[in-house]
Amino acid sequence: MDSENLLTIKNLRTHFSVGESVVKAVDGVSFNLEAGKTFAIVGESGSGKSITALSIMGLLPNNLAQTERGEILFDNKNLIDLEENEMRKIRGNRISMIFQEPMTSLNPVYDLSYQISETIILHQKKSKEQARKIAIEMLDLVGIPEPQKRIDSYPHELSGGMRQRAMIAMALSCNPKILIADEPTTALDVTIQAQIIDLMQELQKKLGMSIIFITHDLGVVSEISDHVMVMYLGNVMEIAETSELFNNPLHSYTKSLIDIAPQITNQKREIKLLRGEIPSPTNPPSGCVFRTRCPNPGIDCKGGDIEMGLIEAKPGHWVDQCCFK
Amino acid sequence: MDFFNNKTGDVKAVENVSFEIPEGEILGLVGESGSGKSTLGRAIIRLIEPTEGKIYYKNKNIIEFSDGEMRKLRKDFQIIFQDPYASLDPRKKVFDIISQGLKVHEKIDKNSINLKVEEIIQDVGLQKEHLNRYPHEFSGGQRQRIGIARALVLNPKFIIADEPVSALDVTIQAQILNLILELKKKYSLTILFISHDLSVINQIADRVMVMYLGHLVEVANTSKLFSNPQHPYTKSLIETAPQIFRKNKKKTILKGDIPSPINPPSGCVFRTRCPNPGIDCKGGDVEMALVEIEPGHWVDQCCAKNI
Repeated sequence: MDSENLLTIKNLRTHFSVGESVVKAVDGVSFNLEAGKTFAIVGESGSGKSITALSIMGLLPNNLAQTERGEILFDNKNLIDLEENEMRKIRGNRISMIFQEPMTSLNPVYDLSYQISETIILHQKKSKEQARKIAIEMLDLVGIPEPQKRIDSYPHELSGGMRQRAMIAMALSCNPKILIADEPTTALDVTIQAQIIDLMQELQKKLGMSIIFITHDLGVVSEISDHVMVMYLGNVMEIAETSELFNNPLHSYTKSLIDIAPQITNQKREIKLLRGEIPSPTNPPSGCVFRTRCPNPGIDCKGGDIEMGLIEAKPGHWVDQCCFK
Repeated sequence: MDFFNNKTGDVKAVENVSFEIPEGEILGLVGESGSGKSTLGRAIIRLIEPTEGKIYYKNKNIIEFSDGEMRKLRKDFQIIFQDPYASLDPRKKVFDIISQGLKVHEKIDKNSINLKVEEIIQDVGLQKEHLNRYPHEFSGGQRQRIGIARALVLNPKFIIADEPVSALDVTIQAQILNLILELKKKYSLTILFISHDLSVINQIADRVMVMYLGHLVEVANTSKLFSNPQHPYTKSLIETAPQIFRKNKKKTILKGDIPSPINPPSGCVFRTRCPNPGIDCKGGDVEMALVEIEPGHWVDQCCAKNI
């Protein structure tokens, strides 16, 4: 199994210093991304999903965020140890990223030709003309009609769905090994969301890249991913294959999320609840971080000797040790 | 409306829509952005003046009401907005936000105002202490509770909930939906619940209207709409809504984007994205209008012919 792992994250911790206190935005995250597979990270706002992604990309400002200890292994290198100029060769080239809101992540004052070519010229040492040709091919690949015309469009001239397609074209233009997609369909209408999910699956088949797909929507997870990691307050609660996670959830947070997730049924359904809100990361609960909202917290969960950490309950199915007891 | 005198055409945001809401019902209104959901919601309480049509409230056509009469009626109609960050004045304390309606509409003394506001804040699951704080001190879910308290403080009859849970996390979304259902009982409310999310509508609505490009394309009670959808747009929305445990693996993904309402397709407005458009759909003599195919189940006549 290990040989297939394209990216291995071990015990990643990203902490922010805010005044006197330390915000443990990501606190001990470990997972493997297999080649050609889609790995979903799911959780509420503030769970640390996006910070995990930004840590992998090395996109957090050094003066604020400290990614300490931990390893991000890609291509036999620990990305945490890389110098900025080495990281720049990987970012956008071998690992690239798309974001939630294509309107704010595209530059409004440059046309698509410039924005897509920029990456190609930088990483693949192509001429301007060659890069433009590749950019047009990329737009065609992501299903933008009349790519020869559209290449000269500015972001505001495109619809939300088309903008997200253009983002994907840009991210895939250097044929990366890994695509990190941070809530790529959240800002889109349902019919457009379905188009983009379909497109990403099709492109994965064609190009063979691995995808890290960040979302808060379990429905989207079940559509797109092979493996899922459930995060809560900077910690990993559970990791498993997608169907295993939905059919045999072990952690009480995962169980609640599945219970709550709106599902379309023929009858009106009773609304299930999980009480409270995600606590502030500046002052997380002692013991198990989930215990303040847990439907059945044990007496042990509160104790100072509890440490969050995954154990393998079944082959390939990991769950936080506190809940497994 | 004519802005800056550069009028080039009319946007028909909502076109020839007829429906009724019985007292005590939650009527769901679902559609994509640009379908006219919010415009419809605002037009029926005359926050946007409709170009044409009639709106009956308690058997009176409120289109004919004068401004003064309308203002008195305003307290019966309230809105809960989508974005709890944008819909609360950041410079006002929660008490002032909630009590403003009372000060405008009710001639009651300070003490009664205080009592009423304290009662309502507890009804929405917050505490008296919160009244003295500013919106930025609250989480998204708590702010939405404040928005609901503001809407309910005047004992309204009819609430328009315009995507009230779209900006919230799933666990908070469930809490707010549950709160709306509880308060609906307690305050005997009638609600028009606008959402783009079919699974939310499925949970909360008694009846559903599906809207596309300014037109209603299907109306039915919730169980009928989800078990036996007739319009291809409704079908596709149901099939493509991401689900954890999907029974039906068949997905009809619609092509393209919703067309611009400035220049809608001739004939059936949905035909440019329809998976199986008929030859008829294009014709100039096709008119959008609902027909009743079984009691309480209405579908656009163009599609009803093919059933």
